[in-house]
Amino acid sequence: MGAFLIKDIMLLLRDRSELLILLAMPFLLIAILGFSLRGIFSGDLEALEMDIALVSQGDEAQAVASLQNEIEEMGLPPGETQALKQAAESASPQTMLVSLLEDESLSELVTIERMSRAEAQESLDEETVDAVITLPQGFTEDSLRNMLFGESKSGELELLVADLSSPQTDVLKSILNEFVRTVNFEASISRLSGQQSATEVSGGIETITARQPITSFQYYTIGMAVMFVLFVGSTIARQANLEQKQMVFDRIRLSNRPPLLYLSSKAIAAAAIVSVQLILLFGLSALLFQTFAADSWAFWSGIAIISIVLALSVGCLAALMVAITLRLESDAVPAIFSGGVISLMAFVGGSFMPLDGMPELLRAIGNWTPNGAALSAYFSWLLEPELSQLAGPLLRIAAVAVIFLLLALAIFPRKGGAA
Amino acid sequence: MLETEQLTKKFKDTIAVDDVSLVLRQGESVGLLGPNGAGKSTAIAMISTLMKPSSGDVRLNGESVLKKPGDMRRVLGVVPQKIALYEELSAYENLKFFGRLYGLSGKKLEQRIDYVVELVGLADRKKELVKNYSGGMQRRINLAAAMMHEPEVLIMDEPTVGIDPQSRNHLLETIRKLNREEGMTVLYTSHYMEEVEKLCDRVYIMDHGKVIAEGTKEELKAILSDQETVLIDFDQNYPELFAKLSEIEGVQHAAAEEHSLKLIIPKGTRLLAALFHEAERYGAQVVNVNVQTPTLEDVFLRLTGRKLRD
Ligand SMILES: Nc1ncnc2c1ncn2[C@@H]1O[C@H](COP(=O)(O)OP(=O)(O)O)[C@@H](O)[C@H]1O
Ligand SMILES: [Mg+2]
Repeated sequence: MGAFLIKDIMLLLRDRSELLILLAMPFLLIAILGFSLRGIFSGDLEALEMDIALVSQGDEAQAVASLQNEIEEMGLPPGETQALKQAAESASPQTMLVSLLEDESLSELVTIERMSRAEAQESLDEETVDAVITLPQGFTEDSLRNMLFGESKSGELELLVADLSSPQTDVLKSILNEFVRTVNFEASISRLSGQQSATEVSGGIETITARQPITSFQYYTIGMAVMFVLFVGSTIARQANLEQKQMVFDRIRLSNRPPLLYLSSKAIAAAAIVSVQLILLFGLSALLFQTFAADSWAFWSGIAIISIVLALSVGCLAALMVAITLRLESDAVPAIFSGGVISLMAFVGGSFMPLDGMPELLRAIGNWTPNGAALSAYFSWLLEPELSQLAGPLLRIAAVAVIFLLLALAIFPRKGGAA
Repeated sequence: MLETEQLTKKFKDTIAVDDVSLVLRQGESVGLLGPNGAGKSTAIAMISTLMKPSSGDVRLNGESVLKKPGDMRRVLGVVPQKIALYEELSAYENLKFFGRLYGLSGKKLEQRIDYVVELVGLADRKKELVKNYSGGMQRRINLAAAMMHEPEVLIMDEPTVGIDPQSRNHLLETIRKLNREEGMTVLYTSHYMEEVEKLCDRVYIMDHGKVIAEGTKEELKAILSDQETVLIDFDQNYPELFAKLSEIEGVQHAAAEEHSLKLIIPKGTRLLAALFHEAERYGAQVVNVNVQTPTLEDVFLRLTGRKLRD
């Protein structure tokens, strides 16, 4: 057994093109996809830290006071007058905006500093702030009027950013849009009920943070890893085909070793190679891209458990492919597998993009591929390191692996006799 | 110690091996001579338990090996026609792998590797990758690998195909030494008559899947005992003259080769007068006339009407 393993691994180490496919390619893809798709995963918000300058051109206190005066002079019944005056004070849009930006879910990302218009412009030019939000003269009054009396002129705020195309800008814009909508909505509510308006405005932000907090690097490190381990199956099967063609396989048969020893050593070689591959990919990604913040033993041992199950299942897959390859005496199977099947499996397994919007059937198939199941196991562990959550996907991987293994045993030509 | 009994292998549309019965005695060196496609490799695959015969039997010390190939595999060292080695590994790594398959390890393994690379004369180059070797060196390691488990019988399938003269001589010398000095039993397959003639005590001649003659070299040549081989060299090729000469009364077989013509005739045939007469008519010049003792090549020519190498 040891002899087989050492030989298979030495052969792999000398095969530069296979090494490129198994290690360099996924790593390159992790880097490319990880960088270029930063921002589409909400976990990336951590990479979106922003310094925002807040410029208020009007005097808010004065605006509120003058509005309250106006309410007084309207000659409404005392109760209503009081309620409206209070609403004007607490619904002040500037307060709402600040409390929105300093909301718990954003406070780590956003720092707000009040500045004058000139200071803000200067800071933006010097890039010490990423964006300037300006509440123009009359903004407070206009929005309050809109809110309280339904006057058509609504307040407009102005957003100046350093980099229009950056993901930060997108996120900030969506926050502000949400804010403006909220202000208008709140307005209609307070007007309809005439009651003191609630200033809870977190609703708009939830849509951003409700997505799973996984970064693009985490996503693609795992996505590419579970995809490229599949190539080990075709690598091993190709090796077996070469052994058969070069008649080394005959020599091995002549040594009178049990044929199943050959098959199982291929499976174990595949599992060992996958393990090394996963260690290198996860390790490098963690070191170079700080992909995984958690560095506890508990976190990594969960990753290790999933990886071991995945490695063993690829071992079974490799055994099946070796069996078919030897039976057909052709390398068609590894060629088809590496040329197309792997991409399909990777796609339905969610290696390239989240399958949230995909048809149910596709997701079900993906869930039963070893790579797809491993991917969901890794993700669920990232989100919530809870062993019981892993049972489902890991059992699916194991079930499929057992099927692979049984098929391999059935197909493998047992040329122990003088066959 | 090793024999085949009416060994037959049918493929879809050919009978590759047809009713072949061979015997290999301990310490003997036996040749299996035949042109390409004669069925030699197929016969060897069945003898070495790698292929199941359609019918017939292979026996080792009287026991059939078809059901229990283990004993045979232990005794046999098989040198296949192809280079059955890992090209990306060095000779040393290959031998180490095959040695470990046979359960060798540690010092014993190293000693055995040292012995076999010394045997094939590649001790100083054993660390090089097989793919960087010349064809001849690859063939020598191919033999070395078959020797790792100290086999008693060496079966070789055309081990000198596509190999430089130096490697070829070295290989033939090695095999001869193994047979003469170490008492190794050898079954040597080739379509090179000279090799078989040089190495082997006894010869089986195969053609179209059948054994068409067998015996010691002397016995086989005795087939031609009442015949002579005449080799006539001309100044150039005269196809019409050659055809004419082949039809001279008494000529049993004729084979033309560039500027020369080989004729097998009964002893005492009066050939020369006719030869010079015809040569005169075609304006051909006879450069040399040589009456030879027959070779196995001539025996094959006589038996099949064809040359070994077409
Ligand atoms: N696996 C096979 N399937 C079909 N025909 C084969 C196979 N192997 C050999 N043959 C045929 O059997 C004949 C003998 O082949 P082989 O044993 O290789 O001859 P040799 O080794 O003497 O050159 C040839 O006609 C060859 O085409
Ligand atoms: Mg052959």
